[in-house]
Amino acid sequence: MMRKVLQKIYLGLIFFLLYAPIVTLIVLSFNNSKTRAKWGGFTLKWYSELFQNEQIMSALYTTLIIALLSAGIATVIGTAASIAIQGMKNRWRTLYMGLTNIPMMNAEIVMGISLMLLFIAIHVTLGFGTILIAHITFNIPYVILSVSPKLRQTSKHTYEAAMDLGASPLQAFFKVVFPDIMPGVLSGFMLAFTMSLDDFVITHFTKGPGIDTLSTKIYTEVRKGIKPEMYALSTILFTTVLVLLILVNYSPDSQEEGGKKARKAKKRPSKVRMMVVRRVIPAVIGLVVVAGGVYYAALSQTMNDEKVIVYNWGEYIDPEVLTIFEEETGIDVIYEEFETNEIMYPKVSSGAIAYDLVCPSDYMIQRMIENDLLAEIDFDNVPNAKYIGEGYMEQSRQFDPENKYSIPYCWGTVGILYNKTMVDEPVDSWSILWDEKYKDNILMQDSVRDAFAVALRYLGYSLNSTDLDELTAAEELLIEQKPLVQAYVIDQVRDKMIGNEAALGVIYSGEAIYTQWENPDLEYVIPKEGSNIWIDSWVIPKNAEHKENAEKFLNFLCRPDIALMNFEYITYSTPNVAAQEMIEDETIRNSEVAFPDLSKLPELETFRYLGPEADAVYNELWNKVKSD
Amino acid sequence: MSNKLIDFVNITKSYGTQTVLDDLNLYIRENEFLTLLGPSGCGKTTTLRILGGFENPDSGHVIFEGKDITNLPPNKRQLNTVFQKYALFTHMTIAENIAFGLKIKNKSKQYIHDKIKYALKLVNLDGFENRMPESLSGGQQQRIAIARAIVNEPKVLLLDEPLGALDLKMRQDMQYELIRLKNELGITFIYVTHDQEEALTMSDTIVVMNQGYIQQIGTPEKIYNEPENAFVADFIGESNILPGLMLEDRLVKILGIPFPCVDEGFGRNKPVDVVIRPEDIDLLKPGEGSIDGVVTHLIFKGVHYEMEVMANNYEWLVHSTDMFPVGTEVSIHVDPFDIQIMNKPESEDEEAVNIEE
Repeated sequence: MMRKVLQKIYLGLIFFLLYAPIVTLIVLSFNNSKTRAKWGGFTLKWYSELFQNEQIMSALYTTLIIALLSAGIATVIGTAASIAIQGMKNRWRTLYMGLTNIPMMNAEIVMGISLMLLFIAIHVTLGFGTILIAHITFNIPYVILSVSPKLRQTSKHTYEAAMDLGASPLQAFFKVVFPDIMPGVLSGFMLAFTMSLDDFVITHFTKGPGIDTLSTKIYTEVRKGIKPEMYALSTILFTTVLVLLILVNYSPDSQEEGGKKARKAKKRPSKVRMMVVRRVIPAVIGLVVVAGGVYYAALSQTMNDEKVIVYNWGEYIDPEVLTIFEEETGIDVIYEEFETNEIMYPKVSSGAIAYDLVCPSDYMIQRMIENDLLAEIDFDNVPNAKYIGEGYMEQSRQFDPENKYSIPYCWGTVGILYNKTMVDEPVDSWSILWDEKYKDNILMQDSVRDAFAVALRYLGYSLNSTDLDELTAAEELLIEQKPLVQAYVIDQVRDKMIGNEAALGVIYSGEAIYTQWENPDLEYVIPKEGSNIWIDSWVIPKNAEHKENAEKFLNFLCRPDIALMNFEYITYSTPNVAAQEMIEDETIRNSEVAFPDLSKLPELETFRYLGPEADAVYNELWNKVKSD
Repeated sequence: MSNKLIDFVNITKSYGTQTVLDDLNLYIRENEFLTLLGPSGCGKTTTLRILGGFENPDSGHVIFEGKDITNLPPNKRQLNTVFQKYALFTHMTIAENIAFGLKIKNKSKQYIHDKIKYALKLVNLDGFENRMPESLSGGQQQRIAIARAIVNEPKVLLLDEPLGALDLKMRQDMQYELIRLKNELGITFIYVTHDQEEALTMSDTIVVMNQGYIQQIGTPEKIYNEPENAFVADFIGESNILPGLMLEDRLVKILGIPFPCVDEGFGRNKPVDVVIRPEDIDLLKPGEGSIDGVVTHLIFKGVHYEMEVMANNYEWLVHSTDMFPVGTEVSIHVDPFDIQIMNKPESEDEEAVNIEE
């Protein structure tokens, strides 16, 4: 008795752990309140907003069409392959079955990267076609896996019997063998469809700019902060996959078992089932393809050859700006986003995708110039570049010595954010971060270069130092500081400082502006020993195919009214002096944090790419600090 | 019996290094019930599959009604096959199964309908049109397989161990059914089996095969009573096969004792094989027969008793309706016409000689 109860509790617990997260997600998708913490009543508005979001609907259609096409093609190829494998001698059959299984076992990321490398090697432009080929490739094994057992069950005599009764080999296959293996083929198709539907990793590596499936779209969206529409979308995706999986696993097997049990009673398969298989499913598939085709045709009518492919940080442009540009110039903007410089770099350097305009950070621009990846900007085509403050152009020379390849877009500094109510003395030096008085009230950046920059500048060295003595000194300083530090964090500096949880924190200026709005007690300062300045600038890759359009777009971005729109959206400092003057809010326009007078600031350095050896030294020393 | 319908000419077939048929020659007459009989691996099924068109011979020709059909695909041949495991189309109803061949040939609806009715009646399964194959017993499925084949009005029906999967009682019923069908249809049946009883019961002609060679061709009676070699004798029914010495015409020495027999023309003092069927041995009182011995085993078999008698260092197999308990001293007697003399094979290979009728 006790045992049974325990068994039930155990089972219940397992299912709870398995499904609690998904149930939470589903519940939240019906939550009227935007915050996760509060239940604001039942609503379907996230669903309706979801269906009004054109980008998501386009991603949905791409997902469906790729899933259908790849599953369909994989089913044909896979079924044919199964038949061929079935006809082989035993030894070969085992070998081939093993070979087809390997891609299934293989880590998806390996598959994704190798496919991407292959496409690049044979000069196939990444896009819809490459996603489709990739999906077909990873779907085939699933089809073979589900067709082969059915084929093994099918007696070869039925095929011969059909021929014996006068059927040609083709007739025999389609009239006799195919209906026999139909459940396997169908479940293979469903399995492939499901796999394609929810694949992220492989799609991520093989997709090109301007094309997204639901999973990559969700990923992009989530990076910017989770919106409730995403709960709704995830719920729909989960339900779809669930239904498909139930169809795959339940229908053919249950039919078989049912058949055995109800042996005597069994007559024809039900009319309804036949109807569904023969009419409804093809009709639905047809409808999706046709409707999507019409939709895409309508879409592509507005599309023309005039386009510009832009590769930018996530949430780093006002979407409205893109629309205005398209309306004004008739040039389509194909817009794609990256999360880090390190993710962007290989995509550009491999030449897999010919981007027209990219927005990397300072040190990465230096690296791209060194590797001859960038084209010189024709400043005659970008007259609005004159609105960029001279000081910023000067700072840019640290990584683009002749100001030939880049035009600054956003910039900021690193400094100390402190709470006036908790810190008595005026803050003007990094030394305050080593003051015993503020033990457990100091927040440091949890990233190697940022942390070392603080220590190196405090010691009076360059933050791009590769001198081992200087670096060791910085390391010792950081170890000395460690007992005073409350936490090494990145994003939390902002929230913790707003919430008065710490007195001092190392922070980026863009974040500092935001914290000051939320908590007026906070003050930002750039210490007198000097600090880091970062600049994200627009560059044009050498392999750009629409360089003129890229320059048009760049000129557009430098237009003061447009730069202002972007500043208001991104809230990071703009180097566009004319835009700064147009800011209505006086406190912001004159903010010392957002727009300091560069000439009056202490010495500012951009980070430089130091090469792999120096990187290794930095990482080793940082590890010593963290583990001490 | 009338003309030759099918002629196998010098058929050879091998899989890899294994020769399955070696220079086979065989003809089949119209309206004949011919059985290919032999142990598994003897080449009987391969012969049938070559005739059906599912295998191509390495060399040789298959002649059907005077035409060479060696390279004709199965769907172009005027013969139909009943497969060992029925090979019914499980996703079709019985009616659809039977109609399959007719639909391919674009026959009219009415014609197909009538044919289904006729065929089901012929195999005693009226009213089964809308059943699914899975809901039928093995025997019923086999009859449907036959019905499906015969609606196409083939000149020859090939049956590949069609009763192999059935239980004993069902098998015996189906044997009578097949004989009746053959008589009603008036077509040629070519039947493959390893079951000698089936072969003896139904056939007009039996072809005994072993290791790719034909061992003997003949009527069931001839095959049973006058096996031409030890293999046939051993394979057909139970036998005592003893080494013997043909002393002269009509006299053979077995186990050192001369037995009168009816065979002639083997020469003098020639080693031979001697076949004596167990039911042809009479057990008499000691001293009254040719060899004295002792009963060592006794089993009741229903119709008769099966006994083993040890005499002159040989264990004689004896079937008799009279019972002799173990330990009884008896004497063995065999009538001269019950002794079958066979040529002794000079080598192992010759055991598989190719004999032409």
